[in-house]
Amino acid sequence: MSASNLEIGPIFRALMRNKVGAILIAIQIAITMTIIVNSVFIIVERSQKMTRESGIDEANTFHIGSSAFAPNFNHQVSIEQDLALLRALPGVVDAIQINAVPISGSGWSMSLQTQAGAEYDGIGSAIYMVDENGLNALDLELIAGEAFVASDIRWRQRGQTDWPEQAIITKAFAEKLFPDSEWASVAGKTIYINDNEPMIIKGIVDKLQAPWVGWDNVEHALLSPERLAFPTVRYLIRTEPGMRDKLMPEVEQALATSNKGRIVRGLRTSAEDRERSYRGDSAMIKILTTVMIILTVVTALGIVGLASFSVNRRKKQIGTRRALGASQGAILRYFMLENFLISSVGVAFGAALTVGLNVVLVNAFSLSAIDWFYIPIGMITLWLVGQLAVYGPAKKAANIAPAIATRTV
Amino acid sequence: MLKMMDVKKVFRTDTVETHALRDFNLTVDEGDFVAVTGPSGSGKTTFLNIAGLLETFDGGQYQLDGMDVSHLNDKQRSQLRNEKIGFIFQSFNLIPDLDLFDNVDVPLRYRGFSSAERRRRIEQSLELVGLANRMKHLPAQLSGGQQQRVAIARALAGEPRFLLADEPTGNLDSKMAQSVMELLQEINRNGTTIVMVTHDSELAQQAKRNIYVRDGKVSELHSVADLAAAASA
Amino acid sequence: MFGYYLKLALKSIKRNPILSALMVAAIALGIGSSMTTITVNYLMSADPIPEKSQQLFYVQVDSWDPTSPYNDDNNDPPNQLTWTEATNLMAAKKAKRQTAMAKSGAVIEPSNPDDKPFEASIRLTFADFFPMFNTPFLYGNGWDQQSDLARDYVVVLTREINDKVFGGENSVGKNIVIMGQNFRVVGVLDHWQPVPKFYDVNNGAFDETEELFMPFYLKEELELPNWGNTNCWKSPEGEGFKAFLRSECVNFQMWVELENSQQEAEYLDFLNSYVSEQKALGRFARPMNNRLSDVMEWMENQQVVADDAQIMLWLSFMFLAVCLLNTIGLLLAKFTGKSAEIGLRRALGATKSNLFIQHLVETAVIGLCGGVLGLALALLGLQGIGALYGSFVEHLTQLDFTLVVIGLGLSLVASIAAGLYPTWRACNIAPASQLKSQ
Repeated sequence: MSASNLEIGPIFRALMRNKVGAILIAIQIAITMTIIVNSVFIIVERSQKMTRESGIDEANTFHIGSSAFAPNFNHQVSIEQDLALLRALPGVVDAIQINAVPISGSGWSMSLQTQAGAEYDGIGSAIYMVDENGLNALDLELIAGEAFVASDIRWRQRGQTDWPEQAIITKAFAEKLFPDSEWASVAGKTIYINDNEPMIIKGIVDKLQAPWVGWDNVEHALLSPERLAFPTVRYLIRTEPGMRDKLMPEVEQALATSNKGRIVRGLRTSAEDRERSYRGDSAMIKILTTVMIILTVVTALGIVGLASFSVNRRKKQIGTRRALGASQGAILRYFMLENFLISSVGVAFGAALTVGLNVVLVNAFSLSAIDWFYIPIGMITLWLVGQLAVYGPAKKAANIAPAIATRTV
Repeated sequence: MLKMMDVKKVFRTDTVETHALRDFNLTVDEGDFVAVTGPSGSGKTTFLNIAGLLETFDGGQYQLDGMDVSHLNDKQRSQLRNEKIGFIFQSFNLIPDLDLFDNVDVPLRYRGFSSAERRRRIEQSLELVGLANRMKHLPAQLSGGQQQRVAIARALAGEPRFLLADEPTGNLDSKMAQSVMELLQEINRNGTTIVMVTHDSELAQQAKRNIYVRDGKVSELHSVADLAAAASA
Repeated sequence: MFGYYLKLALKSIKRNPILSALMVAAIALGIGSSMTTITVNYLMSADPIPEKSQQLFYVQVDSWDPTSPYNDDNNDPPNQLTWTEATNLMAAKKAKRQTAMAKSGAVIEPSNPDDKPFEASIRLTFADFFPMFNTPFLYGNGWDQQSDLARDYVVVLTREINDKVFGGENSVGKNIVIMGQNFRVVGVLDHWQPVPKFYDVNNGAFDETEELFMPFYLKEELELPNWGNTNCWKSPEGEGFKAFLRSECVNFQMWVELENSQQEAEYLDFLNSYVSEQKALGRFARPMNNRLSDVMEWMENQQVVADDAQIMLWLSFMFLAVCLLNTIGLLLAKFTGKSAEIGLRRALGATKSNLFIQHLVETAVIGLCGGVLGLALALLGLQGIGALYGSFVEHLTQLDFTLVVIGLGLSLVASIAAGLYPTWRACNIAPASQLKSQ
């Protein structure tokens, strides 16, 4: 088909005589594209954030808190009894006491540095206080160095501020602390906590996330070999696959009845932690998806409405064209091409607007800059939406009988 | 009643200039019934539009009921149309989703009559055209002749001094056309001045006076009565 | 005449039911989405205590690390105080009213042995808290300043806890066991939920109010734990709870009530001289950086309105713009379809302003229908947001009267704005152009 058959020239000139309608559609397409492309970009970013793994066996892990209130409560004895009870339950893979739970939203962080002294800057990391069962309970793989043994574990009393001599850290944290070393060689090195208290890196684990999913250092974690003799403590329990839901009420019951001087509370699965921590992101994804769908429908209906109207108004003209020998295909093509021209202006304008909105979002809300390929994909999508929307009215136009040309009313 | 002196009207596009009226001169006296004939494109409709204050003109002078209308603004011309002029169109131009009552009501609304006054006038004018019993019908439920009668009722409801009709029988068969013509003659007898554009010379003969428009000018006067009038002027 | 225009508008809407429905739907969707986000943003940025938000000031002093600022991005002092500052500033009593505070929690043992012990959140605070923040009391009152200093075991309960432990009866004067200690109930609050929970936005700006209120110094007495954010730049000197309490860690908030700018200036002077004294004692090595922020300044500073809510707000305004462009297009189509009638009305004597008002009324009717439907959609949208975000947004998803008025106003203004151009075009149709038969 040659260009002259496509009658771009006459279509364009006809459009210029009825600018307002065309401009309205073009602006609509531009704004729709702006919203859709930026929304998709946000959705993709949030989805990627949500698919990050915490490192623990999320599907089979839950945790429960215990708060002692009875006077003269012996915390150490209670914790040892609780752990013995939990570890003996059939279906439990392992259980530990822990000060904070990964991706749960609350926990401890400390700053670690490779040189002693207040004048050196440290790097933040989440702190997990665990005993020798920590790696198994958290489903961590030791990839360098050694795991904690029972003799490494100490009791931390309330208000105690010093730190054990050893630590296990994540690979990501090791790489950040010692950017010039091979991560495997970091085992055995010394790092400093509280500016100048040394801790020797006993081992390195593959992956463990901090409690806060929105934190920049979410992949930084440090395991500290200790149990906490605190009135309020938390146990993390890993079960065999499929046993979690059966074990949860059993554990709650067992702890509640084993010792009346405390209450058990905050029974929650790690799956629930994930859901809570990413609730904002998942809500944003759902809302933006809804907005995109509704917006596309609104824009498409707008195109259908205006195209139908323009077909109705030009009925006689179309009939005349048909009478003068235009095929149905030619009429169909006319309207499709007309829409294509309008959409082209819209998406070109839309591309600029999309980048503009992204710049605003980057500056005001520290979102990241959009990848270039979103723009052409968005343009093609809007072109397609336009063509699909106009197809119905165009088909209707093509079906107008030539005889209408000779009718008077 | 109506006096046009050297009225000009030019339509311009980018490339073409069309002189629809050139030095158009016409005087219509009170109580007259003038039929305007002429070939298509001669300027009949332009004359009617200017006479009815629907369009402005480019030169000359136009006095309606003794008043120079050349310098009236849009609002004043709207009011004048509303009060002094009634229109009848070839295609009736009734509003399809208003019933007969509401259709006749349209010009009265803009006149600002009380609701009782409007009702009286609507009923009276529908009575005159013989459709008072169909007030709540929609235009589509009527024949063409009846629709044109409603349009006439609408034109008369405001009791205009001056009735302009553009091919009022063009969309009607000859029998209906004749009855509409008779209605117009009756209205004229009651004192309303009528100017009617038509291409039907038989119908035109029934008017008191005939003028012929060609190339935007009044070029011929037809009937004996008119010749006499022209001689005496 | 207005009645006539209304009648014509309804007829016209009925004549093109699909086109009219499309316009109403477009406006409704635009209004629905923007009202949903406006509601959330409006409630997030609401003034929680309008009657005195300009007299309440949040206190900040820069006790942070000499070598690095509290916040790398700006020069703000820490957003909480140390125990030392909280107690010293309270003891100085330089404001009309003042209260330091902290969040904690403890186990309550109901007297009825059938009721299980449970954990409750605590706001540790001073007697001034209640008159400062105009808290509504169901029974009794707050404690007096004597009890602050005497470290009396007195407690104010929320209505919910009073219902739970005392079955809703007037419990003033009764005992309640908290952390194994006998406390005397002095007051029961009626429902009180400031949105945002301005007095402590560090620990969730839209969280529930705490369940118990008790004198601040009991923290030391009962060694109550720190709930919420604790930030340290230096580890405590010495071991044990008391050493931790007296460390440079920040976990405390403080508000003062000042009646005018003179008092505000005087209080700031006082803070500066206090910090100078502390500098002499070897603390506060950073440059002098003390701050008083009134309630709304503090909400702004703490960025209480979530980023996502703001992004949604802007996106929904763009959404509304698309819906309005849509409406403009459809109105143009509709009014162009009516040009024969418009021309006729002009011929019959209607002035331009007659037609302008007629079509504006028609647009406004469509706009109002869209607005009402849009508000219904907003209710749906807010429910959706409630379902998606859970209890966090519980207090942020309620339409109030102001919002309904805003919604209807917005739809009216938006639809009339959308209708202006099509209406202007419609009433400029030349009277003669449409009268010849087609």
